[in-house]
Amino acid sequence: MATAIRSDHLRKVYPGSTSGSAALEDLTLEVPSGRVYGVIGRNGAGKTTFVRITATQLALTSGRATVLDHDVATEERAIRAQVACVPQESRPLYFLNVEEVIYLYLKMRGLDRVEARRRTRDALDELALTEYRHRSVSRLSGGLRRRTLCAMVLASDAELLFLDEPTTGLDPIARRQVWEAIRRATHERRTILLTTHYLDEAEELSARLALFERGRLVLEGTPEDLRSRVRYPYRVTVLGSFPQEELASYGRVSPIEGGVLVFTREPEARDLARTALERGNRVSMGPVSLEDVFLEVVGRSIEEEAPPTEVEW
Amino acid sequence: MTERHRLRSFGTLIQINGLIPIRTQPLYLVNLIASPLSFLFFIWIVSRGADLAFGLMGGMVLTMLSVGTGLQSDLTHYRHDLKFQDVVVASPVEAPVYVAGMAFSELVYSLPGLAVFVILFVYYGFATWTSVVVLTGVLLLVWSFATAFAFTLATYFQDVRETWMFSPIFSLVLTVLPPVYYPIYYLPSWAQLAARFSPTTYAAELVQGAVGLVPISWSTAVVDWVVLVGFTAVLFVIAGVKARWKDP
Repeated sequence: MATAIRSDHLRKVYPGSTSGSAALEDLTLEVPSGRVYGVIGRNGAGKTTFVRITATQLALTSGRATVLDHDVATEERAIRAQVACVPQESRPLYFLNVEEVIYLYLKMRGLDRVEARRRTRDALDELALTEYRHRSVSRLSGGLRRRTLCAMVLASDAELLFLDEPTTGLDPIARRQVWEAIRRATHERRTILLTTHYLDEAEELSARLALFERGRLVLEGTPEDLRSRVRYPYRVTVLGSFPQEELASYGRVSPIEGGVLVFTREPEARDLARTALERGNRVSMGPVSLEDVFLEVVGRSIEEEAPPTEVEW
Repeated sequence: MTERHRLRSFGTLIQINGLIPIRTQPLYLVNLIASPLSFLFFIWIVSRGADLAFGLMGGMVLTMLSVGTGLQSDLTHYRHDLKFQDVVVASPVEAPVYVAGMAFSELVYSLPGLAVFVILFVYYGFATWTSVVVLTGVLLLVWSFATAFAFTLATYFQDVRETWMFSPIFSLVLTVLPPVYYPIYYLPSWAQLAARFSPTTYAAELVQGAVGLVPISWSTAVVDWVVLVGFTAVLFVIAGVKARWKDP
């Protein structure tokens, strides 16, 4: 499969960074083309820095990155001709109406009037914005503004779309409308680099995912890969009383309301579920969610980062 | 991007930042000519009409400079608050097309104000072939260097509030302190020397000379043109080298 984005030992240190720490460190990854590639991680993990470097908005410090086979440091013009971006925390120009935001963006990219009109109409329809098309952006809710920006780039002719937290602030129905539009874009063989804090969204849309932590790539693969690579790939929920000392031998135990959640391996998960059922507990079992993976990996990183809690006097 | 595409992008940017805001908020037009007209009114009252011509010439130069200060605020606002520049950077639109489109859109705002000054200019009988040519050339150069300067600065500002601080200083240093609204010989000799550091001194000297308000020799006119063109060229080079289209 062709590669849309390739980064090789990418490093970024912001000029004037007081800590001197890198926002991205030794980042090597490949984003396949024609699919959604999700990037997840905590705030400050380096997701936006990666998007901005590959979208040619930010210079890299060292290493190399190519986008659609063009070098981001030397062939920006060739890249820019084929990409579109919804930056994090961006807002549409408030004095335009919804239709103008999309139509004028397309015209600005060089599309002719007829093509821009057609694509605008389709995007308005696709993202359920037709009824708001004459409404000024200044009178839209935050969610509708975000949706308008998504419609704007999805309507473009770009081959690669950068969506940096595109659904922040959207209600569940609007999020799903954006998801549908993103899926349709991949049917047209377009590549989408998506960053998000919604792990269900990342899991739902992404063919592959990268988990960033403190500027480094800590996990990469399909959602199934990521689940299988954690220490405990299964979760068992046991409701009712169960001896704590027995549970500890299965894996990691987290108390929840009315019972416990046990993260463990598959054979142990089956064994625990059977035992708990025999003792009359209510049990549910399944593979861990992406959120569980995230919490385990990032949680481990936070523990490593934390200073020792016991102080010797 | 072909030339046709560039032209389309350029026209669309004028529409986005010039024509549509005027349609939605016509008071923008008044905003840009408020200062030049205030100065004109003040000079007219204080000089009992005698120095009206200086007010007219100065007003036109200030209007062109205001395009630069307006551009500086808009670009900073679009870059930091709306992230519009990031949207444009990650698109086929090239930096010179963006700056030219934005600069012309600001010019669209200034045209009605400029028209008021041009009408008065013609009405008071200052319009000759020479004065029209000199005035057009000087105003285009002032607009050009104000644009290059504004774009370069806007790429360094971190917040639109910094432009609010800078705009009055910009106006003070370039239009109020230099002899834009009065002849240079009103200043003491040391101040005349200091005024020579401002490009608007040369612009004002040329337009004031072209309409016969101050005597101007051929050699002085040539030096003034060379300084103005050179200054504009240097600012364009600085904009090309130092302006941050892509963040460092």
